[in-house]
Amino acid sequence: MDLLPTPEQDEITASIQAVLTDRHTLGQPMSDELWTAAADQGWFGLGMSEDRGGVGYTIVEEALLCIELGRGCVPGPFVGTILASAALEADLRAQIISGERRVGLAERLGDGYRILDGESGGLAVLLDEMVLGEIGELSAEPCLDPLTSLGTTSEWRDVDEAGDGDRATLLIAATLAGLAAATTVQSVSYGMDREQFGQPVGGFQAVKHRCADMAVKSESALTQVHYAAIAFHDGQHDDHRFQIEAAAVVAARAAVENAEINIQNHGGIGFTLEHTAHRYVTRARVLAGLRGGLRTHLADLLAQPV
Amino acid sequence: MNLDFTPDEDAFRVRARTWLADNLPTHERPPQGQAMREFDVAWQRTLFDGGWAGINWPVEFGGQGLSDIQQMIWYEEFARADPPFTLNNSCTFVGNNHGGPTLIACGNDDQKSVHLPAILRGDEVWCQGFSEPGAGSDLGSLSCKAVVDGDELVVTGQKIWTSYADVADFQELLVRTDPSAPKHKGISWVICDMTFPGIDIRPIETMAHTTDFAEVFYDEVRIPLANVVGQMNEGWRVAMSTLSFERGTAFMADQIELAKVVENLIDEARTRTGPGGKRPAIQDEELSRRLATCRAEVAALRAMTIAGISRNRRTELPGPEGSMIRLFHGELHQRVYRLALDIIGADAFRLTSIDGEGVWTGPYLQSFAYTIGGGTTDIQRNIVGERVLGLPRVK
Repeated sequence: MDLLPTPEQDEITASIQAVLTDRHTLGQPMSDELWTAAADQGWFGLGMSEDRGGVGYTIVEEALLCIELGRGCVPGPFVGTILASAALEADLRAQIISGERRVGLAERLGDGYRILDGESGGLAVLLDEMVLGEIGELSAEPCLDPLTSLGTTSEWRDVDEAGDGDRATLLIAATLAGLAAATTVQSVSYGMDREQFGQPVGGFQAVKHRCADMAVKSESALTQVHYAAIAFHDGQHDDHRFQIEAAAVVAARAAVENAEINIQNHGGIGFTLEHTAHRYVTRARVLAGLRGGLRTHLADLLAQPV
Repeated sequence: MNLDFTPDEDAFRVRARTWLADNLPTHERPPQGQAMREFDVAWQRTLFDGGWAGINWPVEFGGQGLSDIQQMIWYEEFARADPPFTLNNSCTFVGNNHGGPTLIACGNDDQKSVHLPAILRGDEVWCQGFSEPGAGSDLGSLSCKAVVDGDELVVTGQKIWTSYADVADFQELLVRTDPSAPKHKGISWVICDMTFPGIDIRPIETMAHTTDFAEVFYDEVRIPLANVVGQMNEGWRVAMSTLSFERGTAFMADQIELAKVVENLIDEARTRTGPGGKRPAIQDEELSRRLATCRAEVAALRAMTIAGISRNRRTELPGPEGSMIRLFHGELHQRVYRLALDIIGADAFRLTSIDGEGVWTGPYLQSFAYTIGGGTTDIQRNIVGERVLGLPRVK
């Protein structure tokens, strides 16, 4: 029993961070350079076995990847594409893992579908049923998160499977946990740099204590995501759904609450579009709202046997 | 990262479960005084005789020499067995979780060989003597003074918030041995025999109606210099190791138990009528969401506990990260009992003891201690902010 990442897992995390540092700027749209590097590094097939064209790691490493995508507040169709690497048809799967085909996220909306990070005629994972499908003509709408493309469509054609729904919940939770950690870092950093009354504001207990609460929230989310990922991977823990739903709850709360308090910690500059603090609020709100959002996860968790 | 128990750990769990089923006391724990002490030390002695005392203590001091994971498994099995008492409320808590571990880390050979086996056998009950009326959160400003006279320290002053002072044999006592040094440099950590002349104990009744709390007065109490743990005037460092245990692993039993408390509360909410008087409480939207949130948070608390154990395995002493767990745990514990009172409604009017089967009101009153004792949550937040996150220190 050990809940700290292994040296190999730390290396994976470090290499992901190096790519993100190099190819991603917080607040900017996802660059094609990042997408290409991600594909080259095998991010889209990280958890798939080598004979299926993947890297041969597990859901645990997929979760570590999503934590870093959250920490970097990286926009773009990452989660959908990672989920879609579970597709059964070999050619399609190869196109997804190679980054050639990008995969958005879809949820049912009345008789039609709401699509995130998709394009007309492109692919998306329908989270309600965990199927991979081709979407029709999209009518675009402005999104709460300006770096996420939002649209609706009435056309959908099932193409393949998209893996387990618990895996989707876990990877979204992992991304949220990463967001929660990132806002903690941003608030602490601002608390050290910003001076008022002749001292860094992070020295004042009002600010320091909010940062401490953020740290506790993000730590609890990250740790529970780790635990749930291993439980899911092992397959021998009959409580893995319990653990994943618990991760979804603590991670969604941590990401949203930390992002909101991060704005407050920054004062006036945090309210501007120029500063990046708002990125975390809108990103967290969109991700936390998927798969029915917190209310659904709470109900699912309470329905789990112990 | 793995969640696997070794075959040894699995076998340990089975042994613990079997033993607990046969040996757990079935009668209620007396709430106070000598009867309470007798109950607690009898249980400690039963543990010792059964080979379960000091699970993660070194074998040379009478412990079992096992891992923190095995200690956690023990606590899980203890909670699972539905005991009629809470380990955190036992008068053996300080010996097992502060005094003992501090002696293991900082004591000399004599101190270890005298006290450690005795703590494990249930022959010695320990209490804490850190806080003073003028030194609570600002512990470093303590003024209880100790003057060297020959081979003795002469102690005069006062301590407060000392749980179980009236039934304890020894005390982990912080005294000021060098008043001219900067405040953190002139403190010593000494073992005080509670039978020494000049000690006066006055009980303090808590809001949970327990009387094991006390203030302790020292009037020229003579303590052998041999009782100083660590070096003279190095007591702050020793005390910080004591507190790192308190913030690190001491509350493991309680953290594990809380998961069981939440499940018991969910059962209560299934059988009790909720607001409005028609449906079960669990069908009330607000209550059910709070229950689910508590369930998620105790799961995360367990994960954090295991991560903490994993981290401690790589370091000598528990690090400041323990304060994150302590802070999360203390506030979560309160949220759980606050929710319990909201669920049981007017049944909460009947005052109960602070532990036992199916009681909520007493533990609710007791829960206020969880964000005060061992460093208030404000102090824990300072530690997290300054020592984990590196924010500027409070002046």
